[in-house]
Amino acid sequence: MWPYVIGGLVLAGVYSIATLGLILTYTSSRVFNFAHGAIAFFLAIFFHWLAVDHGWNPKLAGAFVVLVCAPLFGLFLWWALFRRLTHATSTIRLVSTIGLWVALPAIGRILFVGREEIFDRTGVGPTPAASWIRVAGTVIDSDEFLVLLVSVVVAVSMTVVLRYTPYGLQVRATVDSPRQAGISGINTNIVSAGSWMIGTTLAGAAGVLLAPLKGYQELNFTPLVLAMFAAAVIARFHSLVMGVVGCVLIGMTQSFIPSKWVRDDFLYRILPDQSQDVLISKLPDSVPFILLLIFLLCYRGLDRERFAVDTRAVASEAPPPTARDSDGWLRLRTPAILILIVLLAPVPLAGRWEAIIAKGLAVGIAFLSYTIVAGEGGMVSLCQVAFAGVGGAMTAQLATNDSWTWLPKVNGLLAIFLAALIVVPFGLLVALPSLRLGELYLAMATLAFAVLTQNLFFQSASINNFDGGVKVPRPEVFGIDFEGDTPFYYLLVVLFVLAAILVMNVKRSTTGLNLAATRSSEIATATLGISVVRNRLIAFGVSSFLAAFAGGLSVTYVGIALPAREFDALIGVVWLAIAVTWGVRSVAGALLAGLSFALFPQIFAEFEWFILVLFGLIMLGIRSNVRRVVVQRVALAAWAVFWLGAFLVWNGNLDEVPLIADSIREIPTTLFGLGAIGLAKEPRGIVYDVSHRSRARRAERAARRSADPPPGTTGSPGLDLTTPEAAQRAQDEREVMLP
Amino acid sequence: MSEVAGGPLLEARGVTVAFGGLVALSDVSLSVPPATIVGLMGPNGAGKTTLFGVMSGLLRPRTGTVSIDGHDVTRASPQARAKRGLARTFQRLELFGELTVREHLVVAHRARHRRLNLALDLLGLGARPGPGEDDRVDAVLSDLGLESVASRSAAALPLGTGRLVEVARAMASEPKVLLLDEPSSGLDTRETEQLGEALRRLHAGQGVSLLVVEHNVEFVLSLAQQVTVLDFGRVIAEGTPTEIRGNHAVQAAYLGVSA
Repeated sequence: MWPYVIGGLVLAGVYSIATLGLILTYTSSRVFNFAHGAIAFFLAIFFHWLAVDHGWNPKLAGAFVVLVCAPLFGLFLWWALFRRLTHATSTIRLVSTIGLWVALPAIGRILFVGREEIFDRTGVGPTPAASWIRVAGTVIDSDEFLVLLVSVVVAVSMTVVLRYTPYGLQVRATVDSPRQAGISGINTNIVSAGSWMIGTTLAGAAGVLLAPLKGYQELNFTPLVLAMFAAAVIARFHSLVMGVVGCVLIGMTQSFIPSKWVRDDFLYRILPDQSQDVLISKLPDSVPFILLLIFLLCYRGLDRERFAVDTRAVASEAPPPTARDSDGWLRLRTPAILILIVLLAPVPLAGRWEAIIAKGLAVGIAFLSYTIVAGEGGMVSLCQVAFAGVGGAMTAQLATNDSWTWLPKVNGLLAIFLAALIVVPFGLLVALPSLRLGELYLAMATLAFAVLTQNLFFQSASINNFDGGVKVPRPEVFGIDFEGDTPFYYLLVVLFVLAAILVMNVKRSTTGLNLAATRSSEIATATLGISVVRNRLIAFGVSSFLAAFAGGLSVTYVGIALPAREFDALIGVVWLAIAVTWGVRSVAGALLAGLSFALFPQIFAEFEWFILVLFGLIMLGIRSNVRRVVVQRVALAAWAVFWLGAFLVWNGNLDEVPLIADSIREIPTTLFGLGAIGLAKEPRGIVYDVSHRSRARRAERAARRSADPPPGTTGSPGLDLTTPEAAQRAQDEREVMLP
Repeated sequence: MSEVAGGPLLEARGVTVAFGGLVALSDVSLSVPPATIVGLMGPNGAGKTTLFGVMSGLLRPRTGTVSIDGHDVTRASPQARAKRGLARTFQRLELFGELTVREHLVVAHRARHRRLNLALDLLGLGARPGPGEDDRVDAVLSDLGLESVASRSAAALPLGTGRLVEVARAMASEPKVLLLDEPSSGLDTRETEQLGEALRRLHAGQGVSLLVVEHNVEFVLSLAQQVTVLDFGRVIAEGTPTEIRGNHAVQAAYLGVSA
């Protein structure tokens, strides 16, 4: 009994330290930091780098990282990112920190980890951990004791500071009403910067304390991330006490799972024989989200809480007008060119590269699902990857009839279609919370769905097949055999085009108009007699179909369905970052997202530092030419990464190139993450950005040629230079172009 | 006007709304007869917007009923009420920032006239305008003088134009009764006159009933046929504009003089 209790308390302690920081930063700035766990990981490996690679005294290194670097890092992040987000629309607030979540661990590994994974467990205390105290016959070692000590100190001091100090009063005032607090003379910027510094410090403390217990790999931090998200929801994002309660609940449950009472007497009885051990090993990661869903179902009126009020507050600062352009075929030019390139690609690129592009096409269809749910529906979904995975798994079962013999065995292509149809009800099920919940809760609920699907469904014996997966045969359709890679490649191109047409049809139709209306104002839409519920269900239904269809195609192309590896919940987070980086408003964005998701890692791995140099040069070129912020930012980041790479090449000997290659592999992820962060500035993604600019340039050229006053009569509002705002924008663009 | 001419088109009876301890409306009754312009006046915080919320289904009253055309809609959703012929505008603009002005009207018109068919939309057959849609939308646009901004994105419009777009959108949904929440605020004198004209035309031409909340006392007294005055969540006066002009309680509420 006692070992489990103490184990649970230690987990709860780490979780609480991190969760308190998360809640503090959310309440003081209304920005939910998805990257909180990533910050913990980043600072933990920084600590390891100092303590092990550079031989600092661990206690000194720990104090330096947590008490000096963490606050400064928090201040930097606040200054560079979070500060801007407070007044952004809620979707951008969500997606930007998700970008940081994706990018930060990759950057950390480039900087601090090098070629080999870290396997030792150096901590602030003695290594290996000394056994310090006994409680009821159970040893608490030094690492565990530190966790318990720090968590109590943090909880007590947070309470004291918030309740009894002037700073605490200011924080609480700012939480309740930022505007009022600002008017009554509180510098809300300082309050918010302060909370971010404290929040980051707490994340750092949690990271440095957790790593010696669990290890320094990123996957060891996933439980922390999941637990504190769940605890934050249990706390309704503002109650510190409920946050701690949630952490204790989660920690205790996780700790007791391997115990005799839970595992032997309960789980072994209810779980199916084949997969019970695997499922039980995955259960601790599922616990937070099972609790999260239970609490979500129990809480009432979540949509009317802080977050909802908040969205209204920024509604007036909605993004600048989007040009719903009407310049005919020009709109189709980019996708057409891309498709042409993709069509011709197999000619010079047979073999491996063809396979990678094919993968990109299949994933591209999944990215089209973001065009519907996020682009049209305006909802942040983190579970598209789960839809794809279920689609893939069901395709495999239908096409092979391997372990679920009660299913009919059907032709490959039909199997993909049926599997996608089967997923639609799940999509509608996931949409249900969106009818009642604010965006942040919806993001959490979708993440929960993805994680639970990953842990409980993809891992089960009949799907995972002991990491061997299920073999999927290539289909034969209308007498055409798609067994070969190239025929299947062209099948993928055709299907992508069909899916893209479907998406464009939706955008142009009445449904698309209604979705656009719902996105901007729910109450106005409802009072016109349009059902908001129906719109949301449509968006989720169509998008889950597309994602599942993509999953089915992907596993059919690969030949093996192994969703546990290919459609991991955290891959879904990267997907979202990529999708929004390219832009969720256009079909071309989805295609580019799919291609870059498949191609970038390969390109970087294949051509090592050469491609790095090339890429750096290209990016430098883009940087000096573009005037729009998002591309500039990505380019700037890429440029920085390039110099970093060049430095590594120069610093290490050239025969240590694998070291660089290891770093290079992190670069695509870093770029995608940074791209998503860049949305804070340019919310519509790269594709919109580039096309908008080229359109503006065309218009300008036309105007200059005809020497006629503004081309405001062409009917496209994006070109309309008669409005002061558009004229100003054009003016700005001209000015930045000069150097 | 299929209903018996005698019954009111829109009626709130004994409505009470409280937010926590604050009673925003207490036992308020208001009825809008067919083809009538009713004005709703009152100083700030009198509960006008709250009453609109109750009538359009965005707020649930603690007690009391709301009915449209004799059907009880107290528990009905905003959509259901819109289907019965209710439309409204918002004091704080609720425009669709990513649609053009014309598209606002198209959305509203189709909400009334077109059954959504997802299959058709997926196949690309749902984009074509329905019969009479273009004419009707163009008519409303010209009625409110919005032709010149028809293809502009709503997000870039000045406040006054935005307010006209709200009115146009509500009109395009072809309501039987139209609730206007401070339609003239943010409009200049000329625009206010134009709006007044358009509302009278709508009323005269199609027999639409209007319920107008206004701060602009002159505007509402010149437009309305009946006026109800709220103060501190209670009805303090009802009558024709002339009666209201001479009412002491109303003068007291507006000027702070004890009656």
